[in-house]
Amino acid sequence: MAAKQSVQTRRAQLTVQDIERRKKLVGLGQDDLARIAAIKSTVVQNADKFTDAFFDYLKELEGGAPLFKNAAVLNEARQLKREHIIAIASGDYGVPYVDQRMRLGALYSKVGLDVQVFLGAFHHLLRSIGTEIIKSSGNTMQAFDSFMSLQKVAFLDIGIIVDVLIDERERTINEQQEAIREISTPCLQIRDRLLILPIIGLIDSQRAKQLTDNLLHAIRANRAKVVVMDITGVAAVDSKVANHLIQTVAAARLMGAETIVTGLSAEVAQSLVALGVDLSKVNTVGDLQGGLEAAEKLLGYRIVVLDKNSRATEAA
Amino acid sequence: MPVPILKQGKVLIACIQAALTDEDLVRLKDDLAEGVGQHRSSGVVIDVSALDVLDSFATRMLRSIAQMTKLRGAETVIVGIQPDVAFAMVQLGLVLENVQTALDLEEGLELIAARAKERQA
Repeated sequence: MAAKQSVQTRRAQLTVQDIERRKKLVGLGQDDLARIAAIKSTVVQNADKFTDAFFDYLKELEGGAPLFKNAAVLNEARQLKREHIIAIASGDYGVPYVDQRMRLGALYSKVGLDVQVFLGAFHHLLRSIGTEIIKSSGNTMQAFDSFMSLQKVAFLDIGIIVDVLIDERERTINEQQEAIREISTPCLQIRDRLLILPIIGLIDSQRAKQLTDNLLHAIRANRAKVVVMDITGVAAVDSKVANHLIQTVAAARLMGAETIVTGLSAEVAQSLVALGVDLSKVNTVGDLQGGLEAAEKLLGYRIVVLDKNSRATEAA
Repeated sequence: MPVPILKQGKVLIACIQAALTDEDLVRLKDDLAEGVGQHRSSGVVIDVSALDVLDSFATRMLRSIAQMTKLRGAETVIVGIQPDVAFAMVQLGLVLENVQTALDLEEGLELIAARAKERQA
């Protein structure tokens, strides 16, 4: 599913102009098309043989294993590869051709095939095609020229496949980063109208913005009056981060919520003082416990420890 | 469009319905200054929840309303600032210093009631 989606998005990006540009980059011209047409029958006739050569070689390779784990995937890959070998000699390298290439690339990416492994097997495929062309042709020089033309198309393919593989990898990285961001800024309600916002890890400007955004919306959604922001898990606070915190506190105040910042470690406090950051407008308390107590006081809560007798009646 | 000012007990409620021109804001200020004395109000609540922009002029006006009503014996509370508006204001440095803010009208009224009680005590 994910792979399919990616092909969709890439497809949207790869316009006719883009394909033309890629063709120009590998130097694919009209005379190449003519030469490829001359060897078309040889390639098409031996398509099955070439497909086998590609997959047999891949099977021997150490990194080729992922493709052979699942029979259905392997079958699909074989099918696509065979289509490709026929298409590579067809002389028509438009959008459908590129599309087919990207489908195969997405499949490789899905099973986790390495770029190096793919390149190795692809080279082997080209070699077997080249050998066949030269064998079936009387004129070696001419056959070589034809093969070189075919190779231009092959490089066009490699460009596309590598792009797809890189694209997929980047997408995975982005997704993971997004996931980390999502889980790293929870805004929790622990009492009526009291939120805590534990911040862990590094705060960059993007995360700070998201954090503030989350908090402000949570204040609205939970009708919070007091927020305890705990930065015990933030290793380093520089002036930029401190500024973000001050801004967040100010924004929360505009929405009628008081913010208590807790968990400033000794180092953080020292560095803030050394930096000359003015935190006088921010209500700070040493640790989370103290912060919660202060917040409860603001909200008018009083914590009472029940004695043994009343605890027993409560349980009953 | 002028802002309607409602009287609820000892509190005046100004509910801003749509984006205001600068003249409207000045007029709101004048009306409130007048109204606080006329109705002997102890509090003013200005609801800005319908606004998705609060520029520097509006902020300045709100601040001067708060200072002015205080001089006439009434506390002003700004209520209903939207999350995005709050963030934008902070980024632009438009912080409403010395002005009370609350989440919504209910909160604002509660705050004024609490203040009144404090004063009586």
